[in-house]
Formats: sequence, structure tokens, C-alpha cells
Amino acid sequence: MSESFTAAHGTSLVGGAEAHTARSWPNLLATIAATGAALALVPLWVGSSRVLTGVAVLGLAFGCYAIAFNLIFGSTGQLFLCVGALAGVGGYGAAILADQVGLPIVASILLATLAASLIGGLLSWVAVRRSLGVIFTGIVTLIFALSFENLVLGVSSVTGGDAGNPIAAGAETFLRARIPPYYVMLGLVLLFLLVHALLRRSYIGWAFRALRDDEVAAELAGVNVTRYRVYAALAGSGMLGLAGATYSFTAGRVNPTTFGFAQVDVVVIVMLAFGGIGTLLGPILGAVVFTVIDELLIELGQLRLVAYGALIIVLFLWIRRGLIPTLRSLLGGGDDPASRPDTTPGRAVSTGPD
Amino acid sequence: MTASILDGIVLGLQFGVLASGLTLVYGLGGVLNLAYGQMAVISALVVLLTMDAGVPAVPAALLGLLAGGLLGWLFDATILRPVYRRKGEARVLLSLLLTLGVAFIVDGYLNWAYPLRGLSLRIGGDAVEILGVRMRMGSLAASGITLVVLAVLFYVFRYTRLGRAIRSVIENEQGAKLVGIDPPQMLRLILILSGVLAAVVAVTRSMVAPVNVQAGFSLTVLGLIVTVVGGLGSITGAFLAGLVLGIINSIAAAYIGTFLSLIILLVAAGFTILIRPAGLLGVRE
Amino acid sequence: MLEVAGLSAGYQGSDVLHDVSFHVDAGETVMIIGSNGAGKTTLFRALCGLLPSTSGRVTFRGEDVTGIPVQRIVGLGMAFVPAERYLFPRMTVQENLALGAYPELPDRETSTMVLDLFPRLEERRRQRAGTMSGGEQQMLAVGRALMSRPRLLVLDEPTTGLAPKLAREAYQALEVLRGGGMTILVAEQQVPLALAISDRGYVLENGAITLDGTSEELTADPRVRSAYLGVT
Repeated sequence: MSESFTAAHGTSLVGGAEAHTARSWPNLLATIAATGAALALVPLWVGSSRVLTGVAVLGLAFGCYAIAFNLIFGSTGQLFLCVGALAGVGGYGAAILADQVGLPIVASILLATLAASLIGGLLSWVAVRRSLGVIFTGIVTLIFALSFENLVLGVSSVTGGDAGNPIAAGAETFLRARIPPYYVMLGLVLLFLLVHALLRRSYIGWAFRALRDDEVAAELAGVNVTRYRVYAALAGSGMLGLAGATYSFTAGRVNPTTFGFAQVDVVVIVMLAFGGIGTLLGPILGAVVFTVIDELLIELGQLRLVAYGALIIVLFLWIRRGLIPTLRSLLGGGDDPASRPDTTPGRAVSTGPD
Repeated sequence: MTASILDGIVLGLQFGVLASGLTLVYGLGGVLNLAYGQMAVISALVVLLTMDAGVPAVPAALLGLLAGGLLGWLFDATILRPVYRRKGEARVLLSLLLTLGVAFIVDGYLNWAYPLRGLSLRIGGDAVEILGVRMRMGSLAASGITLVVLAVLFYVFRYTRLGRAIRSVIENEQGAKLVGIDPPQMLRLILILSGVLAAVVAVTRSMVAPVNVQAGFSLTVLGLIVTVVGGLGSITGAFLAGLVLGIINSIAAAYIGTFLSLIILLVAAGFTILIRPAGLLGVRE
Repeated sequence: MLEVAGLSAGYQGSDVLHDVSFHVDAGETVMIIGSNGAGKTTLFRALCGLLPSTSGRVTFRGEDVTGIPVQRIVGLGMAFVPAERYLFPRMTVQENLALGAYPELPDRETSTMVLDLFPRLEERRRQRAGTMSGGEQQMLAVGRALMSRPRLLVLDEPTTGLAPKLAREAYQALEVLRGGGMTILVAEQQVPLALAISDRGYVLENGAITLDGTSEELTADPRVRSAYLGVT
């Protein structure tokens, strides 16, 4: 991971960090506000259709997932293939706590978020301690994701098995109405964007970038790699749990397919790869574009998978950096080093006799 | 209990063959083929359609094996070309992503074009009693075939010139080149072999239970689990891990159901990665 | 037998070797000496095809073999023993040797010759290569190269990691081969050992040949004496 980045860009820890943000706080806040304003207008267009609004809400949920994955993978290079499962811990957890244990909705959501956060943090900690590397981290998290899916399917008395369970809690509140859930999710999206922006500009963000680029150099510079990786995982997983829990209450039911690997993780990876790994708005752009495309292709049914498959291939073969970085360099803005995705497959470079 | 164990052995042998294909490709080429299950499914579909057209079972099955080999060759010649240009971790990641894309394309298309179809090969003859358990002819035939396949694999890799040459590429690619072995050529052979092995699994599995068009991803996941536990690059590992996991799966499924027993397999793979990433008998890590 | 003209090669766009030319005639033993970092390993790799050259020509027995990948070059009659050896660690000595003969099957005569040359390998026939000591691994690497009955044996720093006694033994084996008519090209840091068995030699410094001559000429040369023979 590190040699492909430094070989391709000729800089390492110091160079990359200094040149990192072309953006100031006002600039970032304005961007986030503008995005919020633009997205806030969507219900004007689809608000009359319950189905379409539901699609839009789901799209925002995916946006949240993508921002969280961007934090975990884009910022610290941890390939967490359990995005859906962590969101599912939030979704199923909150549903079970509210309906079966009887906790108030807010408490359920918070506890489920905490659970997701801790699980993600644990996975990260284990991966760092065993020096697992990208591939094996991916496999271990995938194992978690598949185990979660099977757990949900297996313990059907609690989870409703493959049919899922309706959620009784919150049935008469605004959460189940037509338009308010959209703004609730939008609020989450903006919150997550803010968190991302904050982290990028802070010491924590610098530490993230440092350890993503070159672990050894980062350690030497005083960055405790274990700690920051786990922080990123805790934060990102918490975001996933929160998004999953909130979404479940707005949807009114939980299904295994809502949080499955093929349905969530793959889509999120594609969204992020398209929008731009490591960028601020990449996840949102990816989420919007793909929600629209998916809706347009809905008639194709199973054939949509063919389209996604082809897209994955094209994306990872050709537009390796994602739309935003590609656009940025096309428009001559030069690149934002913070968005350089060294985590995508790099070129092999011979590095001398070895 | 005995029934579960015997069923587990039947299943385990198939796991072994399934994992062999994956593990050889990874051991030799550093490539993870996530479309492996789909290769098996396509072969099953070829057999099915051929039999629909009136061809008897045996030639149809052979055609299926041929289809598998052809698919392997195709993979090597097309989708894996850009993958070979990378090395090490980048290669594994890219192979993962590209083969995942292929898996989706195949899965989406097959489920749309042949929804709910599955291959089932009926093997005639009365059930035989083994150790007090009535085993269907299908299970026995499947076990016999997989056992023979594994034995042949083992023999070829251990005692023939070609097998040695292939192993040498797994052991040390530079060294292999130095003695005149062409790694890309060996890799092509291994991919063709893995395709045939996938087809063998599809055909033998269909003698025991139907192989559906949607089975692709679950086959890949099972293959991966066994590969991880048995060790990357080791056929013996695939065989042993396959047997053990097959028996565990069978017994567990009888007591706690299919979904939860899969969790046991998954956790076994997870622990193997945490404790001994190379797997029980693995070479490359 | 081997002619190298104007060979340049390097890594990541910059050359380590600059315009290197030398030749090896049939039956000769030629050495390439130089200190660490002089470029010996790069030269070795460029010669055997593990590293592409940026310019120059390599001719072997009259045929232009420039740029041919290593797996094909070895079929033309050259055999290589790299400094890293690149043995097959989990395969036995026997299997390693057998692979040396690829694509042929190992023939009796050659096996016997190799095992006579390295009796210790005979003792450890069924031992896994990875479990052997450095000296034994070196012998195995040379033995494996010999199994293909090469016309030219090329070695890169065969004494790497070997204790002085084993290093001498290695060169004793090379002397035997030389006596049997083998053409040998050896890149070496430990100059006295190489000098003892070579007919001619080239001095490689910073990627270029700075001196060449017969062994006697080089032994007498003051620059060689001070830089490589420790004589002031």
C-alpha cells in the first residue's frame, strides 16, 4: 500500500500532510450547507409519491453508509466488508430493544449505535494487533458480515428470520410519516459530513492520513497506529449503527436483505469508488447517482446485477480514482492530495534488487 | 449421528474438490476467484440444458466438465489479464474486485434467464446400507467420483513432472523461471483445472441435492472457508479441511439448523486467519 | 560463447549498469569482480532475463538473446545460480534437482555427476531444501543448475552468507567443473577465491567496466591489489 502511493506520487508523510487541504473552514461549511440545501429540495419533486420518497430516504441512508465507509477505508485503509452488518446491528438491535425489551426509541437507537461502534472497534483492534493487512481484514470482516446475516436468518424467533419483523415502536410518530423521515436522514447525512470535515482538518485527520500513507513513518512521527485505526473504526461503525437504526424506524420493518452484503457493501463500494474515495462529497455524489440509476433500472429486476457487475469492472479498471478527483484534475484544479486513493490497486513498480 | 457423519464425509469430499480449485489458483497466481461458484453453476446449467435437449446424462456431464475447463481458460485469457499486470496485494485486491464484478454479471443474468432452475442427477439403484445407515446411490456415486478426483490430483502433483513443475511455481516463482518453467503457462493450466474441478463439484453435488442457479455465491463462500482453513496453495490442506468442515457442518446442521451451522464454519475460518493466517498447511499467505 | 555489448540496465527509470561489454569463450572461466553496489547482481539479472535491459546486446553461441525472458533463455544452454538461490523450500533435494532438468526428466548420468560433486547432497536426498544450511543450499543451487547440462554456468556471488571454509569448498567444486571443460562466468566480491580459478576477469565499478585482463595481469595491477586484495 505504501510503496504504490509514494512511488506514484513521490511524496510521503511530510509532503502529503502539509499540502493537504485547499479548503478552509468557511469553504467546507459552505459546501456542506449547499449540499444540504440542494438535497432538501428533493421532496418537492418526489414528495407526492410514497414509494419514491421511500427510495430517496434509502438513498440518503446509503449516503450515510458511504460516508462512514469513507472514514474507515478512505481515511485509514481498513477494508471493512461488513458495512451492511454493522448497520444491521444498529437496525436489528434498535428494533429488538424497542419492541421486545421495551426501551424508548431514542435509548434503543443509542444503545444499538454503541453496540455497532464497539463491534467495529473490536474488529479493527483485532486486525491491527494481528497485523492483518488489507486482504485479511477484508476477509475477517466479511466473515463477520456473513455470520451476522446467518445469525439473523437462524435465530428467527427473535429476528423474524428471512421474512423479517415489522417494528411496532414509533408507528404513530413522525418517523413513519411520508416526508419527515427524509429530513431526519438528511440531518444525519449533514452531521456525518460535518464530522468527516472536522476530522480531516484536525490532528486526528492528519494522523489518519499519515498512517494510511506509510505506517512505519507514522509510528516514527509519533502516531499511535493502533489507536487511530481503532478510533476511525469506532467512529465509522457508530455512524453505520446510527444510520441503520434510524433508517429501520422510518421504514417500519427489518429484513435480512436490508443489511445484506450483496445489497449494501457492494453498492457502497461502488458508490464510493464512483464518487471518489477520500473526498468529502464523493459518498454523497455516488449515493445520489446510484439511487437514481437503480430506480431507473428497477424494471430490469435481476438484470440490474449485470449492470452493477459491469460497473464494478469498469470502475476499478479505468476510473480508478473516482469521479470527483477525476473531474478535479480534468478541470485543472490540480489534485487535492487528501483525496488520492492510494488504497485502490496500484501499479507494480520495481524497486531495485530484492 | 452416524448418518450425519457419513453425510458429512460425502459433503466434505466435495468441499475438498471445491477448495482445491480455489487454493491452487491462489497459491500459484496470487489471485482470488470470487466467481468460482458461478463457474460451477454455469457448468451445471450446461449439463441441464444439454440433458433437456435429449442427451443422456453421462455425455452431458462430460460436456459440463469441458465447459468448466473452457471457462477457466476464458478467465485466464480475459478478465485476469489486467490482474496479472499487478503484483502482490494489489493483484489480490484487483482479482477480488474484477471477479466479483463477473460474479454479479453471471448471477444476474442466469437468475433472470433461467429463474429457479436447478440441476439434479438421479443415480438409479437401491440404497445401500453402510454402518447401519441407508446411503443413497447418489451419495455413494458422488463420494466415489470426488475421491477418485482427489486421488488423481494428489498423485499428479506429488509424482509427475508436470505436478512438480506446478508446485515449484507455488514454492518460488523466480526459481521456477530459472529452471525453464513458464509461470503464465502453468497458471493457465491451473485455471483450466480449477474450472473442471468446479464442474466436478457441480455434477457430483447434483447427485445428492439440486444445484440451483442461485447457488453461485454460497458455493464460493464455502470454497473460500475451506481454502482459508486448509491453507492457501495446499491440496492436502483442502482435502483435510474439507473433510473436517464437512463433518462439522453436517452434524451441526442436524442440531442447530443450516444457518447457524454455517456460522460455525465461518468462525472456524475467522479463527484460522487470526491464529495461523497461512492456514493449516498453507504456503503463501 | 557469450558476448555482451553495450549492456545498460537499471530500476525505476535510472540505469545502474552503463554500457557494459565483455565476452566469455568456450572452456574459459571468467570473473566479474567489484565491491558491494558495483552492479554485479544487476548485471546478473539483466543477463539471465530477470531484468529487462535498456540497451545493448547479448549474444550466446551466435544467437541474439537480448531481452529473451529467463524461462526461455535457460533452454538455450545457459544455467544460472543467483545470489538468492531461489530454491524450492518445501521440496526435497531430489525434487529440486529433478526440476533442474526441466523439461526433461533427470538423467542418471547427470544426477550421478552432481551427487559425486556434492556428496553431502546425496546424504540429504530426501531432506527439504528449506531446512538445510546455507552451504548445503548453495551446493543444491549449483547442482540444480548443472542438471540441465548447460554449456555456460553463470553464478552470482556464490559465497554469499557462507563461512570461509564452505566458500573455499564451493570454489573447489567450481574448479572441478572447470577441469571438466565447463565454461563459467562468476560475479564475485571475494576476489582471491575467484582469481584462483579464473582465466580472465573484468572489474566492475559503479556500473561500468573499468579494467580487464588475464588473471595474472589483474593480480599484478596495483589498483586491483589495493582495492580488492588488501595490499597497500
